[in-house]
Amino acid sequence: MNHDPTAETAVRADDGSMLQKPVDRRAALGMLLGGVVAGTQALGACAPLSAETDEEREIKLLAWREYIKGNYRFMTEDERAATIARLERLAELKRGEEVTIQSTGPQPGVLFGYAFNISKCKGFRRCVEACINENNLARNVDMQYIRIFEKESGVVDLNDADATYQHEVPAEGHFYLGTQCFQCANPPCVPVCPVGATWQEPDGIVVIDYNWCVGCRACMAACPYWARRFNWDAPEVPPEEVNPNQHYLGNRARKQGCTEKCTFCIHRTRQGRLPACAEACPTGARVFGNLLDPDSEIRWVLANKPVFRLKEELGTEPRFWYFTD
Amino acid sequence: MSRIRVDAVPMGLVAAWLASGCHDPGGTKADQLPRNTVAVPIDSATAARNAALEPGVLATVQAVRVDRWKGPGERPFEVALRSAAPEAGHSRMFGTITLAIALRSRTAAISQYPCTSCHLGRKVVMANKRIEDAHNNIQPVHPEQTGAVCSTCHSADDVQLLTLKSGERATLDESYRLCAQCHFPEAKAWAGGAHGKRLDGWQGRRVVMACADCHDPHKPAVQARIPFRAPQIERPRSHDP
Repeated sequence: MNHDPTAETAVRADDGSMLQKPVDRRAALGMLLGGVVAGTQALGACAPLSAETDEEREIKLLAWREYIKGNYRFMTEDERAATIARLERLAELKRGEEVTIQSTGPQPGVLFGYAFNISKCKGFRRCVEACINENNLARNVDMQYIRIFEKESGVVDLNDADATYQHEVPAEGHFYLGTQCFQCANPPCVPVCPVGATWQEPDGIVVIDYNWCVGCRACMAACPYWARRFNWDAPEVPPEEVNPNQHYLGNRARKQGCTEKCTFCIHRTRQGRLPACAEACPTGARVFGNLLDPDSEIRWVLANKPVFRLKEELGTEPRFWYFTD
Repeated sequence: MSRIRVDAVPMGLVAAWLASGCHDPGGTKADQLPRNTVAVPIDSATAARNAALEPGVLATVQAVRVDRWKGPGERPFEVALRSAAPEAGHSRMFGTITLAIALRSRTAAISQYPCTSCHLGRKVVMANKRIEDAHNNIQPVHPEQTGAVCSTCHSADDVQLLTLKSGERATLDESYRLCAQCHFPEAKAWAGGAHGKRLDGWQGRRVVMACADCHDPHKPAVQARIPFRAPQIERPRSHDP
């Protein structure tokens, strides 16, 4: 964020002393209005008519501080820890969920890549099932990040491929091809964002700050692979089904009116684990690894198998390859 | 690490194997797909088991260094052994649900293990006709296709061992050594990482599943299933694919 010097101001604290630290406009607004909220609460505490409980007051204060926070990308470590503490407390207060939200950063020397074996995939959609549960996808609207296309053998044109098949698979004379966010090296969804709410991390994962997103859906229009999803409704997950292992840039609770998408299970892969889809695949059609490690399995596939990518002519450079046996 | 011989298999493991109910012919039904699309809330016992699985599930998997095959960059790798705790070994937790990842749960499939419970260690003459009575759970599709008989793969001297073309013996955990004798392109891809499954992580120890963890050795083809539910949100037609 830009720090406009003219916006710097000194704020008079309640005890009358001047704060020495220059404060930007957003922080100053936060302090002033936070004071108003606190003052209102103090009044409320005196007024016998107020039926507001301590919890409701805490929720209001936390929600207000969440509302005025900055973009995660430009937060300091302290600010990140503070917003994560607020979000964890809000999840407990509002929904009774005990969640842990990571802010795990990218590992040095790691660039994630994915390969999908269209000879092996049989269209069982176990990856979809694992993804929904792992990433806390909205159950009320049946959100899914992964689509598995069914296509007649010998044809790679996906324009009339069927992603909604519901019959015993594999069907005779068909092959199956899964799509999700390809974490493109040249992602068209990032530069179109008017507020900088989406960006690419050093390990190649394109992430979204759900709180900074204004819901304009420009990124959805820009993505040639229909990888992004929009929360038209407030996403709902039954509390007993919520995955408590969360990441700020990944599977934490989303709000109504923001976009979301596959993050290669950022909360798992940054800790060295496989994405849920790769781990759940019963046929071993999914290969995941570090593109910068010449001895990784993904590099072996790229070196030894015939591979292709979708819509290569667009220059998006997906880090998601398809291969055959 | 030298390869495991059957006399090196600890009897404690076999005891734990039996105690854990792995020999139950009913077996686990966890890898069967649900026939409906209704989300079923998990019970507390399942939730407790799920909690016990995470994190570090790889620690629960017994593995042994793969013999003769090297991974990419000549890196050695490990193959998962039959686990005394099949749920930890062959199931994974995603969010709050547990899915079996194998196409076929090996523990349920080799329900008559250990073989010595019937064969008593004696040399037996093995003929295909015996399949119909004692081993009626085996569908001998692969032997019929290839003209193999029981003793092509199973050692006639010791029924708990596999026999290789070189005359060597291998344990049932070393199915890759037997299968790779004919299926060498698959074995090469398996060692490289394009075939089979790596357990748990892309980093750290590379532990992969053995051939028979996914394929029924007597009926190796992937069987048809009903898929998980289809997406309910229609994609915009202007954004194909």
